[in-house]
Amino acid sequence: MILNFDEFQKANQSGSELNNIRIKNLNIFKEKGFPSKREENWKYTDLKTILSNNLSTLEIPNNKRTSQYNSEWLLKDFKHNQIVLVNGDFVSSDFSFEDKEKIKIKPLKIVLNGEKDFEKIRDYFTDQQNSLTSLNHALVNDGIFLEIEDNYSFNKPLIIYNFFNKFSENKIINNKSFISLGKNSKLNLLEYYKAEDSIKYFNNTIHNYSIQKNAMLKKFSIDSNLDNSYGYHLTNVKSYSNSIFENFLFSSGSSFVKNEIHCNLLESFSSCFVNALMFLSNQQHHELKTNINHKNEHCKSSQLVKSVLLDKSNGTYQGKIYVTKDAQKTDGYQLSKALVLSENSAFNSKPELEIYADDVKCSHGSTTGNIDQNSIFYLMSRGLSKEQANKMLIEGFLNEAIETITEPNIQLLISKLFIDKINKTKFEINEH
Amino acid sequence: MLDIKSLSASIDGKKILNGFNLKIKPGEVHAIMGPNGSGKSTLANVLTGKNGYEIKGQVLYQGKDLLDLPIEERAQKGLFMAFQYPLEIAGVNTNNFLKTSLNTIRKARGQKEVDSLDFLKLVKTKTKNLKIDEKILSRQLNVGFSGGEKKKNEILQMTILEPKLAILDETDSGLDIDALRIVSDGVNALRSKERSFLIITHYQRLLDYIKPDFVHVLVDGKIAKTGCGELAVELEKVGYEKMGANK
Repeated sequence: MILNFDEFQKANQSGSELNNIRIKNLNIFKEKGFPSKREENWKYTDLKTILSNNLSTLEIPNNKRTSQYNSEWLLKDFKHNQIVLVNGDFVSSDFSFEDKEKIKIKPLKIVLNGEKDFEKIRDYFTDQQNSLTSLNHALVNDGIFLEIEDNYSFNKPLIIYNFFNKFSENKIINNKSFISLGKNSKLNLLEYYKAEDSIKYFNNTIHNYSIQKNAMLKKFSIDSNLDNSYGYHLTNVKSYSNSIFENFLFSSGSSFVKNEIHCNLLESFSSCFVNALMFLSNQQHHELKTNINHKNEHCKSSQLVKSVLLDKSNGTYQGKIYVTKDAQKTDGYQLSKALVLSENSAFNSKPELEIYADDVKCSHGSTTGNIDQNSIFYLMSRGLSKEQANKMLIEGFLNEAIETITEPNIQLLISKLFIDKINKTKFEINEH
Repeated sequence: MLDIKSLSASIDGKKILNGFNLKIKPGEVHAIMGPNGSGKSTLANVLTGKNGYEIKGQVLYQGKDLLDLPIEERAQKGLFMAFQYPLEIAGVNTNNFLKTSLNTIRKARGQKEVDSLDFLKLVKTKTKNLKIDEKILSRQLNVGFSGGEKKKNEILQMTILEPKLAILDETDSGLDIDALRIVSDGVNALRSKERSFLIITHYQRLLDYIKPDFVHVLVDGKIAKTGCGELAVELEKVGYEKMGANK
């Protein structure tokens, strides 16, 4: 990677405190480099090798930034509020369906440059999850700062468009988002990704969510447009008393992506649900890692991950449920099911339970297999061709993940995108 | 309709059908009875096209070689098997499955596809006639269905697809008397001069409701005895062992 930090500093003026944070974190990154399989968390995803094979001359964005995007990329026939990020930069926001008094929205750049709100996010810069986190702290230049007041439920979902145009080619884009939901508030949030043509870039993002008492955040990540992007998305969630966090991930578009979701159930009766659909083909490499930390009593968590792997694709799910000794009456559940449909594709699964409380209910399961040939026979005996039968079974298998979505309109939207995707896919399936 | 000539089938070197002969004319209902392991289900599977069998002999279906046809083409040409153990297909909506199946078959026959609205009307009438709870249409195919619901679903598929030759593989086993009546009514309603049935069963009971034209006793992979409906009653009395000894 080409680290032209001086130029970056000139282009992104920050206060002296942030500047010190940047320098400190840049040095940490320089020392460690990109994560490689020597690190336990990265043993199925050797990012160092992946980047040196595909993006060996990554650059920090210079100041010739552009923010054009194709308005055709915006989702139609679906009423929503929106924030548009282009190349990681905050370009516009539209909350026309909402009471603007209740919502505070700012480009993160303003918070980074000014001292006023910086204290609200200062602590997040101490997180040293891995070298990418340090790199993000050092190079973050924009993103989202969104605060929702107490007792406010959004009328319509918020879509955050993550668009990338030709400017991003060969760049490493570092951004962050901070979203906090006040007590009794409710938000449905969609992250939608789309890149221009087949540009190649690396997007390193950290999402920080804080969900106060009785609040509910439902988040849907839609990575369905097959492209040449590489990415690492780290999500940190703080859940307070009786709050709900739901996360659905449609992981199917990027060449490479690792999603890492850390849910911290800090207060009692909070819950988090992380469900994912991974549908990979060609040489795609996707990983999902979840870390569910039960830190208080009577909390609930569940994960359902359903994956289908074709061609030479590679998928990984690492799921950890951690229960501290105070987190009695924990209810934890995890299930991963994968269909590996080609000899050259692979799926890795690493479920982990670490429990220090003695009165908990926790279960996990993981299966990897092929399509059941008796089911194929059954469907073909009803006139379906082998390809139709395979498709129907794969669709059905993955549909179980989509059915976990509790918002009907969003379920319909994601279902449509999924069917588009599956209709464009060529199935070449080995029968082992 | 169907002409099976000295059909043999083995699996993993074990011979299951051994010189099996059977002729079914349009409109006829044939019942095949036989003890466990006599080859009844293998016959149904081989005719439907299941993989994994070593097959010898010839099967003509509507005058053409059946054994060379892929599974789906057999279905498209009007062959239907009601499964002994219908598969549970997770995530696949029953209504969508039925519609896809019907339209694929119609398309293959050069007929116009049925749109969603017309299909819904059709499927609602059929479920009503068969006294099937409409709710199964919105459920995943056979997932969590009771034994009776699964079998009724097979009959529902049969009535929607309107096959030329329907094979019922032990559709009666596991059914209570009411369900048995519904299944039989479904079959009887479809009986016509052009449509033939091959009904595989262990018990005479089903044949009280569906009166067959012929009853065959299958022992050790071939037909040991053929008769009319009376044969089933006789079998019920004397058991299969006697029939086997008779051959």
